[in-house]
Amino acid sequence: MIEFQNVSYTYNKGNGVTNLNFSIEDGDFVFLIGSTGSGKTTLMRLIYFDLWCDTGKIQVGDHNSELIRKKHVPHIRRNIGMVFQDYHLLNDRNVFHNVALPLHVMGYNANEIPYRVEEALELVGFEGKRGHYPDELSGGEKQRVTLARAIVKEPDIILADEPTGNLDPVAAFELVQLLETINNNGTTILMASHNYNLIKGRGRRILELKDGAIRGS
Amino acid sequence: MDKLLYLISEGFKNVWRHKMTTFTAVFSLFLALYFVGLLAIAGENTKSILQYLRSKYKIEVFFKQDIEYGSAKSISASILKIKGVRSSTVINKDDAVRIFKDQFGEDILAILGYNPLPISAVVNLKRKSDQLLDASPIVNEIKSLDGVEEVRYQGHLIKKIERTYAKIMKYFPFMAMVFILVAVLVIYNTVKLSIFARKDLINSLKLIGATKLFIQMPFIFEGLIDGFLASLIASPLILVTVNGINYMMNNFTSWNIQLSIAPILFLWLTLLSGIISVVGSYRAVSGIMK
Repeated sequence: MIEFQNVSYTYNKGNGVTNLNFSIEDGDFVFLIGSTGSGKTTLMRLIYFDLWCDTGKIQVGDHNSELIRKKHVPHIRRNIGMVFQDYHLLNDRNVFHNVALPLHVMGYNANEIPYRVEEALELVGFEGKRGHYPDELSGGEKQRVTLARAIVKEPDIILADEPTGNLDPVAAFELVQLLETINNNGTTILMASHNYNLIKGRGRRILELKDGAIRGS
Repeated sequence: MDKLLYLISEGFKNVWRHKMTTFTAVFSLFLALYFVGLLAIAGENTKSILQYLRSKYKIEVFFKQDIEYGSAKSISASILKIKGVRSSTVINKDDAVRIFKDQFGEDILAILGYNPLPISAVVNLKRKSDQLLDASPIVNEIKSLDGVEEVRYQGHLIKKIERTYAKIMKYFPFMAMVFILVAVLVIYNTVKLSIFARKDLINSLKLIGATKLFIQMPFIFEGLIDGFLASLIASPLILVTVNGINYMMNNFTSWNIQLSIAPILFLWLTLLSGIISVVGSYRAVSGIMK
């Protein structure tokens, strides 16, 4: 579960989010919409504790922002898969090693890693090209690899920050469908987007952010 | 165990993945180690060079014309007792003629019909002293001995050499410290830059839940490998340079000086580059992770 109680955060140069109150239950698929600068990314960063709220309280699973310390953050993030608009793939290693990275971080047995990586890549429909480097992939392929990297560690939560921002409409549609498939397996998903056409009519809850505050749910 | 092996292998792989940054880091490390190594060798050999130069210092003592060889020998024995004197060799009148002929190519006996050269002595000074060597008191003491007519020595040259040595010994530690500090800063900043170039990797690792140690370890291993590679290149080159200098001095100069290298120097250089690389890597990664 993700829960925000009266959460505010202001950057040094202004903006941020103001008095956010909402909760996302386990297994939910929630869209977060809002124009550029509305606070979507800030909200996401607060969830994975890249930022610490100035006021209020954030609960992510068993972790409470008032109680956790910075040294706990890496362990909390191991339970959160992240997908970004600009992929955050490592260009100096191939697809297989990019997807395997979280498993190495979590200390998985070396024999188990190839099996899990294959499974994750299969799930996101990435066939072949396991030895290719990110530079050799299309935007859609890169995003599938990013998604495979996010799900390979079987997280409880996936945060997708504008994951379709760099994709063509078909690839964007396929990615949302993939996220829905993952959600059907019980993973909580929060996806930020400013593309309303992509998310409307899916029967999912939508949180609307405007100027750092929630305007509708 | 799998994790540790992975981190070590990542350190090795990073060296290969980032060939250009590795090359830059290893090259600057090598340059710094090379010059620090040569500086250390220069420092270590300064004393032996001075001792060589001191071995060339000599005082020539000319005895009075009427003095007998036996008296000259006993005066020479008195000279030997003076503090700072290493040896005193008496040159009799016949030897003096031979030396004259060697030096000037003329037989003085044939020219003058008699031997005007007095009995003399060549006095060498002690060379193993950390103190400034001053020949004047020794010369004055020799002059005061009965039977001594004249004393000649390279007073100006000795003074110059001794003063230069004193200056070197005074400023050398300071110069060495400055040089080592510059080398350390160059290495440290090169390592830092090579890590800053991989800021994205660090940020991505942070996002997927890597701990500080997990992120730092491959960089630290990489730093160790860079340091080891640099000392592996610098050590034989230092050896070649010193052997080259020795060869040139032996074959193209009349100096009989042999520069020596303490083998432990190479261990120190490897340790120095390893420590700086590791500390540089650690601090740079920590800086990015803040």
